[in-house]
Amino acid sequence: MKRLLTIAAAVGVAMSVGTTADAADRTVKIAGFGAMSGVVRSFGINTDAVMRAAAKAINDAGGVKLADGSMAPMEVSFDDDRCNAEEGISVVRRIASSDAVVGVGPTCSNVAEPLFGILQAKAGDEGDSGLQFPIFTDTAIKGGLAKISEWAFRNVPNESQMYQTLFEWLASEHPDAKSVYGGVEEDFAHSRFTWYKVMKTRSADAGYEVKGEAKWLLNDTNFTTQVRAMKRAGADVIAISAHPFTTCGVLKEMARQRVEYKVLVGLTSSSSLETLNGCAKQAEGIIIPTSFAPVNPDAVAAADAAAALGGSADLHSAAAWEIMMILKDVIETAGIQATADSVAADRRAIRDGLATLKTTKGLLGEITRTDEGEAVKPYVYVHAADGTWAVLHDPNT
Amino acid sequence: MADYWWDVIDPIQSVLDGMMFGSIYALIGIGFTLIFGVMHKINLAYAAASIGGAYASLVAFQILSAPALVVFLCAAAASGVIGYIVYICCFRFIPEHLPLATLMASVGMLILIDEVVVHATAGMPEPYPAMFDDVMIDISPFWIRGDLLMIFALSVVAMLILLYVLYRTRLGIATRAVAQQPSAAQLCGIGQQQTNAVTFVITGALGGLAGAMVGASVGILSPLLALPLTVKGLVVTVIGGLGSIPGAIVAGILVGGFENVFQYFRGVTERDIYVMLLLFVFLTFRPQGLFGRISTRD
Repeated sequence: MKRLLTIAAAVGVAMSVGTTADAADRTVKIAGFGAMSGVVRSFGINTDAVMRAAAKAINDAGGVKLADGSMAPMEVSFDDDRCNAEEGISVVRRIASSDAVVGVGPTCSNVAEPLFGILQAKAGDEGDSGLQFPIFTDTAIKGGLAKISEWAFRNVPNESQMYQTLFEWLASEHPDAKSVYGGVEEDFAHSRFTWYKVMKTRSADAGYEVKGEAKWLLNDTNFTTQVRAMKRAGADVIAISAHPFTTCGVLKEMARQRVEYKVLVGLTSSSSLETLNGCAKQAEGIIIPTSFAPVNPDAVAAADAAAALGGSADLHSAAAWEIMMILKDVIETAGIQATADSVAADRRAIRDGLATLKTTKGLLGEITRTDEGEAVKPYVYVHAADGTWAVLHDPNT
Repeated sequence: MADYWWDVIDPIQSVLDGMMFGSIYALIGIGFTLIFGVMHKINLAYAAASIGGAYASLVAFQILSAPALVVFLCAAAASGVIGYIVYICCFRFIPEHLPLATLMASVGMLILIDEVVVHATAGMPEPYPAMFDDVMIDISPFWIRGDLLMIFALSVVAMLILLYVLYRTRLGIATRAVAQQPSAAQLCGIGQQQTNAVTFVITGALGGLAGAMVGASVGILSPLLALPLTVKGLVVTVIGGLGSIPGAIVAGILVGGFENVFQYFRGVTERDIYVMLLLFVFLTFRPQGLFGRISTRD
């Protein structure tokens, strides 16, 4: 009898150890991807660092609760898509064949657009053999991309709304400024879209006379002709829709040619360390709407955590922090298994969970989610002041 | 001033700006053409090495706070070293009868240098020192950028020094001898490999200066610069005439001027189309370029 009890106890202990081991072995795998090489490498570095920082914060607090009530850690990987559409699609196909339950990326809109095209357009459509893998985008900002697939979600700011309110605010703050002249990086999708579809139209809506635009290319080095045209236009507001390298080149040329203006407006992506690193003096005073600034304890904590892992939290990478927190909530609500056999079901549960969200918590406040998988994020206007980005105005207050 | 005057003044001003900037293309073109002249091979890693040298000189700027002129010289020195490495890796040990192998090796080196720069800087634009960047020389109604004028002058000085070295020194004689009659040069005791290596170092230094001038003219450095400079350098080399240094100088300034004219009249999106058309016109009607000869080597 004693021997029987010993065996029973041993079996019981073995079973309980086995159960514990199963739970401990389970991890919620989140696959990040974006540009880790090429000239936009800094975007990938920042997103990777922010995702790892967020995962560490979640894991330090116990991890993610699974369907059976056990807690599992989040595990983050990050792949390089080189800001290249073919590479991005290849990376996501590879990730989708692993046991990752959701992808976070990409960096570039020219990757996001074709990538969303290979996803199943309507969830559950058996006639559509597209990839059934949820993707939550933090950086690719070109407007309206998430509607391509019901498996695509974005947590990027709504530039149209941001610039609309910015130009309205500028009109009230600077009533003497009546005209706008643009500067646009013609060969970059985001820059083009933001000038022609957002800044130009929104400034006109706010009552400004649009006097034209100067155009240059992403790798141009000589801006004398464009800036001369800008100077001749004599506009009160100069709005530059370009990334840091050419923004700095143009700002330096504007300083040389002594272009006079009342207000300088920049592209959302330029409210980053790169711009200050490249031309803090010439960028002084430039106003940019952004969905991230370290203006409250949560945002400061996120920025510090990212910095500790070698990244910088900006409007793009900070979105990855929010995404990780949203995913934690969705996973806990949807109740995923995180086992090798449940990958497809887990992905579907996460997709469905994301699709039902109406609001989420963001670092600057509540984020509203649209039926098309897009986000309407709170934002502030920052300006370059003494070599740093300082909050100029909070339109929510 | 009446508006129609601006319609006259602006294109002329654009040409002036372009020609000034074209001196940088000339420096790059000289590098391509000198290597081609000596080895009859194209080194496609040349412009990337130039930008790599300029990036290396940032150490002097950011850590040692060296003045701009010292930074430029550091760029030339660093690029000379990179030039030697390119020679060793892509040309020295590849048999001469495999020109495609050296070409592809130099393409690989271009990408490698570019990626090393990107990884070292995370692709972030880095501020680069300039001289006289706040000086504007007003020759009403025209004006000339002080920094571009300095770049133009520095480029001319560098070209004159190079021409002096080539035509007034033993090293220059050796270089020209290897370029014209490599076998005869060897029989005369001139080390072909040594001359080739020195050519790579000299052109590398010249390229480093060009890289520094690009950085100085924009005020920042970016890895984005390597590829367009490679293309412009090749265009200048072909238009000037493969192997012709005066040709590279004239073509560099011409391409810079034409580029701005095309941009002024046809816009930035069509600019490079016309530059390439210019290249095709030369390739079709004057394949030897402005100053090149059909055949210069046995």
